[in-house]
This record gives sequence, C-alpha cells and structure tokens, in this order.
Amino acid sequence: MNKLVSKLEKKSFEIRKRVLDICVKAKTGHVTSSMSCIDVLVALYYGGILRFDPKKPEWENRDRFILSKGQASPALYTVLADCGFYGCEELDKFAQKGGMFGVHLQYDVPGVEITSGSLGQAFGVAAGIALGAKMDKELFLTIALLGDGECYEGSIWETAMFAGHNRLNNFVAIVDRNYMCATDFTEDLLALEPMTDKWSAFGWEVKRINGHSFEQILESLSDIRSRRSDRPVVIIADTVKGEGIDCICNIPLWHGIAPEGEMAEMCKTVLKGRYIDLEEKNNDK
Amino acid sequence: MTNNITQRDAFWNRVYEMAKVNRNIVIVSADMGAPSMDRIRRDLAAQFVNVGIAEQNAILIASGLALKGKRVFVYAIAPFITLRCLEEIRVQNGLMKIPLTIVGVGAGLGYEDSGPTHHLIEDIAIMRALPYITIHSVTDSTMAVAVAEMSCSMKTTNYVRLERKKLPDVYQPGADFSAGLSVLQESKDYYIISTGNMTHRALEIAAQLNRTKHQIGVIDVHTLPINGELLVSTVKGAKRIVTLEEHFLMGGMGSAVCEVLADRQLLIPVKRIGMSSAKGYCYEYGGREAIRKYYGIDKESVAKTVVDFFK
Repeated sequence: MNKLVSKLEKKSFEIRKRVLDICVKAKTGHVTSSMSCIDVLVALYYGGILRFDPKKPEWENRDRFILSKGQASPALYTVLADCGFYGCEELDKFAQKGGMFGVHLQYDVPGVEITSGSLGQAFGVAAGIALGAKMDKELFLTIALLGDGECYEGSIWETAMFAGHNRLNNFVAIVDRNYMCATDFTEDLLALEPMTDKWSAFGWEVKRINGHSFEQILESLSDIRSRRSDRPVVIIADTVKGEGIDCICNIPLWHGIAPEGEMAEMCKTVLKGRYIDLEEKNNDK
Repeated sequence: MTNNITQRDAFWNRVYEMAKVNRNIVIVSADMGAPSMDRIRRDLAAQFVNVGIAEQNAILIASGLALKGKRVFVYAIAPFITLRCLEEIRVQNGLMKIPLTIVGVGAGLGYEDSGPTHHLIEDIAIMRALPYITIHSVTDSTMAVAVAEMSCSMKTTNYVRLERKKLPDVYQPGADFSAGLSVLQESKDYYIISTGNMTHRALEIAAQLNRTKHQIGVIDVHTLPINGELLVSTVKGAKRIVTLEEHFLMGGMGSAVCEVLADRQLLIPVKRIGMSSAKGYCYEYGGREAIRKYYGIDKESVAKTVVDFFK
C-alpha cells in the first residue's frame, strides 16, 4: 500500500505540473478546480480502480467515468494523455488553434464519455448509463465526479433521488468538496452542509474522506465492486481548491483562470517546493 | 384505422407493439400517463421508467440510456419537456447528438382550460433553433403512427409535438411522410401552408373558398427543418401564400416558410396568420375557439384574413 501511495503521490505531482504548464501556456483553463480533484483522478486511473483500455476507448465493458464538473478538463485530459489514449503532444495545444480540446470537456476526445461544462447535467446522464447497465445485466461501474458548487443545481438532486430510489448500486458519485465556488466560499454564499445528511436522505450510502489522502481515497473505493449494499454510494472528498499551489489556494475569484507572468513562475516554484517536501517525507519513511 | 383515437394513443399503441418485440426500446415518463401508457406500464414494466415530475432529469436519464444503446422515448406535457429542458436538450442532443425521441402532448392550445402555463405556443421557434433536432408537428393519428415507426430509425433526436384532442384523420394509413411536407391540395395561384391542428382549419377554409371562386392549395408542413426544395418547387409561380399556425408568429412555422422563400429569392407575398406575441399570454377560458378568437385565429377571423389577402 505504501509503495502504491508513493507512486500515486509522484504521479499526482507530475499531473499537477503538466496541468499548470498547459494552462499557463494557453493562458486559460480552470487551474484551481483541476488541482482539487487531481488526487481523486490519479487514484481512479493509476490506483487500479477504473477498468479501461487506452487502445480501445470504446471497449464495451469499460467503466464509465463521467467528469460532471467539466471545467476540470485539463486534469482529465492530462491523465488520459498520460495513460496513452492519445499523444502527450496534444496537451501543448490545449485550448489553442489546431488542438483537439478546449477549456470544457468534450465527448469526442478518446477516453471521454460526455461533453460537460454546463453543470448539473452529466451526473444525470451517468445515472441513465448505470440504469442501462442494470437493464442489460452488465457489470461495469459508472463513476461520476461532481463539483460541490455543481450541487447547487436542482437537477443534481432530481438525479440523486432517482438513483437512490432505483437502487443503482453500480453507480458511484464522488463530490469534489473544495468548499468554493467562483466568487466565494460555499458555506458563506449558500450553505451546502450538511452534505452527508443530504445524500443519505436521498437514499445513498455516504462516505466522507480527505480527498488528498491516497490512503483514504483508495480505502473508500476498495469495495466498490463487492459492496453488499443495494444503494448507490457517494464519496464526499474534502479537498482544497488549488491544492499543491498554496499561493492560489482558497482565494475567492481564483477560478477559471491561469496564472500569468511572475505569478505563473511563483506557482511553478511553489508546486515544486511541495514535491521536494514530499520526497523528503518519503525518504524519512 | 386510427380515427376516433387521439394522436397520443395512436402513437403509444404503435410504440407498445414495437417495444413488445424490441426489448431495446425504453420509455421514460415524467409522470405522464395515457390509457395507452397504462398498457406499457403493465406489460412492459422492465422497459418503462418513471422519473417523477422531473423533466430535466427525464432528458438526462434518457440520454444516458441512449448512450448505453437504448432506443428511448421521453414523454411529458409538451411545454415542460421542451422549454424547461431546453438547455439539457441543447447539450445532450444538440452538442452530443445523442438520439432520443422527445414526445410532448398538448401542442398549441390543446390544454385549453389549463391556462397559459400549459399552452405551447413557442416550441417550434425554440426547438428549431437547435441543430440536429427534427420537429414532427403531427397532423393526425395516422401520422402519429408513422412518426412512432420513423422514430426507431432516427440517428439524431426528434421532437414529436402531439395534439391533445381527437381530430379526424387527414391521411390514409400507409401514407408516406418522408418528404417532410405534404401537398394536400394543389393550386396554381394561392396556397395555405399550415402545420399541426391548423391543417384541419386550412382544409376547411380552402373547401369553403373553393366553392366560391378561388382554387386554394393546402400544404401541410409536418416536419421541420422544412424541405425547402420541395416547398419552393410546389409554390413557385403562386401569387400569394398564407401561413397558418396555432403558435406565436415570432420564429414559428410561418417564419420558417419565409426564410425558405427569402433564401431562394422567391418573391411571393406572404401573410402569416398565427398568434401575435404583442397579445401576450391568454387567461381566457370557455373553450379553445375563445382563446383563438383572442389571438385572431378563430375560424371566422382566419377565413376573413385569407379572403382579404387572396382578393
């Protein structure tokens, strides 16, 4: 486990670095929104959780991973390139002329299931896929990653009620709970808590974890194929918006933008510093 | 025969027959019923999904099912499954081209006694603004059956707007609707181009005037986007055209006809008859014709406008 966690921490740093680089180069992209969910993505794709085949993106038994918070596309695009769905050189063309993708997630990129960016929609589509899998008695899982700000959309709760009632136990939701929207902290602008009680009341099994602890992420996902529950499961992952780059963390309005000039350099230095700390921590073990 | 049966029941009866032998067909309902739907719920429970009164979720769940390979019909009261879900339809079915058949009951003023929340008088304008959405503005129950069949082979989304009230059949069983519009009566000089329930009115008025002096042609535009080539080749040489719809004038079928003519530089005087948005929404009760009168599309007003324009 420790070895896997170290591997994931290292991968997570590489992905963060690449995401920052491509957004700085493109002068756009939701850097902080990506940073908060990179550890979850890395656990899913490199921690042996998701079943996928980069050579056959349409493989019918693949797990369906739905990034409902489509603004975190730089993170997913980077992971998919790194996993071999397409060449890493595509990342350098992020949101630029001749590139295959832009700021919000789009369905025609290999490894991507849906277009998202309009919040509150992809979660419902994911539930429809999970229901279809049940009808066809197929064994793949559907896993949706939601933003916490996305949970203000009423359609999220229409879907939550539907999935709970229909016992979609092949359906997993992960909420990237970074406590921030574009303009303010969620609990100041319109409280989302108590999140655990809300999801539980809608018929879901709820787990709450530190979304930057690989031990906790992996533990929370360890039984998703063998749960004896007939309920869908939601993992509320407490995260930090901008995680890894302390100088842009938790600052309202640091949303949907990429750092430029000196600020970009500072972000790179800060991120690198975090990795040096991490290496030291691992060496001490 | 489909006479004496609503478009809704004709449509769902056909879907029922198809779904019995094609288990891939799924019906998603936003708590919307029908006598024909009761049979589907009872006999095809595994293919029937009720999402509750949650039309946005209906479109999303249906789109997910379609991504999984299902042939999905989504069903609700027409204004709610279109206008309320416009952005869901735009993203799922326009941007991603996920094929669904969206079935709405209550085109125009069909829910006459329910007040303007239930009137549907903007949907053609709004839905035709979306790429990859075909509108089927259904005229009679024979057409409803044909559209149900057609829906199973569509590669993109179609929106089926059904009349709520029973109407007599205009078409014979087996009629071919693939051209997108039907020339019900030909004329050299004058055409009424209509859609949905107003095609019945167009035929009445044409019959009335044909007894006097004019030979009036009637074209039923049942599919949008309009088959522009066929429309133009039909009306080329005509002196005057009236368009007729139970819908706001802005952006409706009449506008679509004018766009076809304008883009091909076919200069024929057109008078659009429909509902003026300047009249706003109508809280009048006492029957559909009373509401039509408020908007100036009752039988008498339409006949007068047509006669004046074709003078």
